[in-house]
Amino acid sequence: MSGRQHAEEPQSEAASAGARSREWVLEPETEYRFELDPGTSLIIKLVCGHAEIFGAELAEGKPYAFGSECKGAVYTWQGCTLEVIGQPSTEYISEETPMSAYANVHMALERMRVRALRVVHGSPPSSNEESESDGDPMPPRVLVLGPENSGKTTVCKILTNYAVRMGQGWSPMFVNVDPSEGGWAMPGAISAASLDSPIQSSSPASTLGSTATSAPMHISSNSLVPITYWYGHAETRRNPLLLDRLIRNLGENVAERLDNDAEGRASGIIIDTPSSFAASSAANDHRQTLIKACVDAFGINVILVVGHEKLNVEMQRAYGNRITVVKIPKSGGVVELDAGYRERVRKYQMHNYMYGEVIEAPAGLGAGYLQAGEQTPDLTHRLAPSSSQVAFGDLTIYRIGEETMAPTSALPIGAARVVSEMQPLLVDPGQPGSALYNAVLALLAPPNPDESERYDEEVLDLPVIGFLVVTQLDIPNRRMTILTPSQGSLTGRTAIMGSLEWQE
Amino acid sequence: MSLYPQSQAYSQAPYPAHGYGQPVPPPAAYHYPPPPVQPVFHVDPSIFRRDYMTRLNELTINSRPVIQSLSMIAQDFTRYAEIVVQCIETHIRRVPAWMKLPAFYLLDAISKNVYDPYARYFTPVVVQLFLETYEQVDQDTRRKMEEMLLTWRTGAPNGRELFGVVPQVAIERQIWSGDQTTASSSRHPSTSTGISAGQVLSELDFVLGQRERALQSNSYDKTAQNHVAVLQQLRKLVQAGVSQPELSQILNQLRALAPPAAVSSQPSPPPAAIPSYSQPPFAAPVPAAYPGPADHVTHPAQVQSPQSPYPSTFDGLKHEPVELPALTSQTLPTPTAAPAASAAPPLVVNNITNLYNALLKAGVVSASATPTGAGATAKAEEATENVDPARAAAREHRKKVLSQKVKLTSTDINKQRSEIVHFLYQRLPTQCKQCGIRFPEGSTAKKNMEDHMDMHFRQNRKAGQAVGRGHSRSWFVSVEDWTHDGAIDGKGKGRANGSRLVTSSAAQAAETAQREAELRAMFVVVPPGDEAKSISCPICKEPLKSEFMEDDEEWVWQNAVRKDDKIYHATCHAEALASKTSLAVRLRNEVSSRSRSLTPERRMRTTPPRVAIPLDGGAKVPGSPSGSPARSSTKRKAEDDETSGERTPPTKKLAAEPA
Ligand SMILES: [Zn+2]
Ligand SMILES: [Zn+2]
Repeated sequence: MSGRQHAEEPQSEAASAGARSREWVLEPETEYRFELDPGTSLIIKLVCGHAEIFGAELAEGKPYAFGSECKGAVYTWQGCTLEVIGQPSTEYISEETPMSAYANVHMALERMRVRALRVVHGSPPSSNEESESDGDPMPPRVLVLGPENSGKTTVCKILTNYAVRMGQGWSPMFVNVDPSEGGWAMPGAISAASLDSPIQSSSPASTLGSTATSAPMHISSNSLVPITYWYGHAETRRNPLLLDRLIRNLGENVAERLDNDAEGRASGIIIDTPSSFAASSAANDHRQTLIKACVDAFGINVILVVGHEKLNVEMQRAYGNRITVVKIPKSGGVVELDAGYRERVRKYQMHNYMYGEVIEAPAGLGAGYLQAGEQTPDLTHRLAPSSSQVAFGDLTIYRIGEETMAPTSALPIGAARVVSEMQPLLVDPGQPGSALYNAVLALLAPPNPDESERYDEEVLDLPVIGFLVVTQLDIPNRRMTILTPSQGSLTGRTAIMGSLEWQE
Repeated sequence: MSLYPQSQAYSQAPYPAHGYGQPVPPPAAYHYPPPPVQPVFHVDPSIFRRDYMTRLNELTINSRPVIQSLSMIAQDFTRYAEIVVQCIETHIRRVPAWMKLPAFYLLDAISKNVYDPYARYFTPVVVQLFLETYEQVDQDTRRKMEEMLLTWRTGAPNGRELFGVVPQVAIERQIWSGDQTTASSSRHPSTSTGISAGQVLSELDFVLGQRERALQSNSYDKTAQNHVAVLQQLRKLVQAGVSQPELSQILNQLRALAPPAAVSSQPSPPPAAIPSYSQPPFAAPVPAAYPGPADHVTHPAQVQSPQSPYPSTFDGLKHEPVELPALTSQTLPTPTAAPAASAAPPLVVNNITNLYNALLKAGVVSASATPTGAGATAKAEEATENVDPARAAAREHRKKVLSQKVKLTSTDINKQRSEIVHFLYQRLPTQCKQCGIRFPEGSTAKKNMEDHMDMHFRQNRKAGQAVGRGHSRSWFVSVEDWTHDGAIDGKGKGRANGSRLVTSSAAQAAETAQREAELRAMFVVVPPGDEAKSISCPICKEPLKSEFMEDDEEWVWQNAVRKDDKIYHATCHAEALASKTSLAVRLRNEVSSRSRSLTPERRMRTTPPRVAIPLDGGAKVPGSPSGSPARSSTKRKAEDDETSGERTPPTKKLAAEPA
């Protein structure tokens, strides 16, 4: 097989072109971990055996590309041989992984799924089904909590991927309420999407898969259709009240969707949360409220606490009487991420939303590698956004409850500079200090056409249909240039700005 | 100095002699920094040939270690695959008859475990080699070769014939029917005429062997008991002599019964067969066919390990050993404490039922008395009640999952060992080589797999065609669409346990294929003078192929239809039409549901009523240019959309009508 041969002759093509190619032999239940420097990429090929990346199985012999400072791990239950081409900044094999525990968590969740589905199907219980006290088996609705760098997102991915890999047609709902992460949408957003194929990993620009584009995709997790709300900030403490409301909106929509899809409902919900939910400090007393918002909005029945005993105890105390709270181990492979890295990842995500992302393979390797499981990334992962000029009046722009930059004229009559956290404030692009230049805006779904149904804070409850960036402000001519993902008229539409800025 | 310096992977392999695998320090210290680049070794092809031949000569008896070792070398040196194939062929031809079978087992092992390129290279020679050998060996060996041949039917990683249909048919026809007139290109050619009792018996024994093993592994397995009893009856029946049509009927039933079991008893596709090398490699994944000399059962030894490609891994490490019954449960009736009624997957039972009916018809058993063992009749009746394989599959899965006693407690999470590998890998033996997604066994899954491969093909074609057009991120959908997507999706995408796909997937597939063939047969006559003109389909932008029809003496465009003065590919047009229809169905559902009354509590919530989002018309359906929602592009097919209209429309709670 060409993979092996190639590996046995690293001096030939790959090496001469500067790429380092090696084989790693992994014992069962170990993982190969790697970290990439900015601007570098890596190719991993499964030569033989079985392997998975955060729960998504690799196809044998296919070169998988990784880039954008990806920090990843290839795990093997059964042992495998990998061929690795490229120069990671760090790479090693670890025998210490929490995978066995995660697998057990998955099996426990799967128990809940099959029992819930049995009820949907109206089948009688099997004899080996112990009669449990609650007569109505519930699908798993899991809130994953943990401090910074505990690998929450990884846990969520693995649990989701294992569910869709059961061969049962599960389509778990993945919910991301971490606005700093952005999920499939954009940093500053919270969203939910139903997954029916494993989430691939290739780049932190699309950790949870990608939303749909006009390009044909092979893996359905690369063309997701999420429901998204715009919070507008990376930090939860900036406007907890707003986030609370958006979480509830999201929960409402998820509930309605699952009401319509009994079998999808049995697949359950997995929720990734911000690390601030786990950080108890005086400046962070809103977190209990936000956790409560999640618990209520999604009908949480399982709370997983990743490697944090104090939080575990706290959750046991608060919810232990009605929700299963379990502490699960944290992976030793989770890397401490600094603020600079997080900032760059946000940039990668924003760019990925507009332009897509094509990972350039290490020098000397031609095309023919997979990116996030897609076979022709060069054809499908390069996106062309649109840029258009609009008059200031064409697009209505609000900011929510931010008093800092708002000029007095924008305040409601009689109000001092104190503004309610939920107050939508009209932004005048003509005013200096609007901070619109380079701002990321969320374009909202249209409001209710029925005037009698309208209400003041309606813009808080409208979901996002896309994101915009103001790339130019021409104040004298009262026009601005706006970058949009696809074509479409913005006239008469409403957008919300937050504190996130586009970065070139 | 060793001739073939081993990669560290095999350093622990127990090859003490022959200079094969000099003991290298075990790869224990694998921490950072990584090991240096592996040195490159070149082995001269002629030396390789000589050495492989020498080793082959050691294969005088059916020795598992020797076969393993020779398989490993073949696997490591796929670049010398042709040499390996030549060596084995030469060896089989020149050794005495009693030495041929072990070499065939080697051929079998390499072809199944490494598969590519070996199966490919053996294909041109395997028919002649098999038939020649079959001629020369004794009855006992012939029986063993037949058993091996049966496993070749499903020996390829995709569950198909190991060496392809044609060689398989060629061999089977020769050794069983001996009748040249039965030539047929169908997969199971001999179902119509010229079936010998010997052939039926041979296949019967194969199935019987499998069931007996199921019974051995769990003697309380009532279903297996019944199967064995029925099959034994059937065996007597055939031995006593039955008519051609009956033989044919029995054979058909047997074959309907055999494949899934045969697949499972194979080592899974090559990846599965190459587990960790921490243990003596190949300790487990030896292919199906090495009956040890002491093995008295007629069927090739499959019980000890090949059911699971990984037992050595499990034994050798801290895993708890995997119980055999658990591993066989997917294809063989699940051993369970439950009363036999719910034990067997109806598909299998159903076939046994048919067999049983055949017995009934033949008068071997009577409907009132049950000579085949208590409960057989009752079981047969019960089985016919549960005809929904999807539900049955879900039930099987549920049972298996519930047998894993992992609770969501700290202790269980950290202490238990679940059979996760079984759930993630072994139970899903068919894997897409393109993306790694796995499929369960069975005909439904086969259909899903075919759809899936079809999807890859289409997406690649679309990706290639779209060059230069440029893609962009789609707008997200409206709340309306999103909240009802689940329901629509649930129908369209074909859940493994949904009822849609399984109603009759075979019939559906046949229908689709026929429809496709019909579409492709459509043509449009090229207007005179336009013969040289190249036109392309407005949907896929690919040129229409023109061809000269001899009979009519006309140029035509193939696979073409004319609609509104445009010429489309018939297939493209039908596909577009189908997706339009499904959209219409969906809209109809929405309209009808909108007329329903509002639920007051729904109106109370903070989220405002939803409206569709006409952002230049582009927002409604994101994704692929063809208009089907991109998110379901991996699974949805046109015919799925059509069926979605027959289902209950999604209930709607909202009534906001956009202007
Ligand atoms: Zn695939
Ligand atoms: Zn066409």
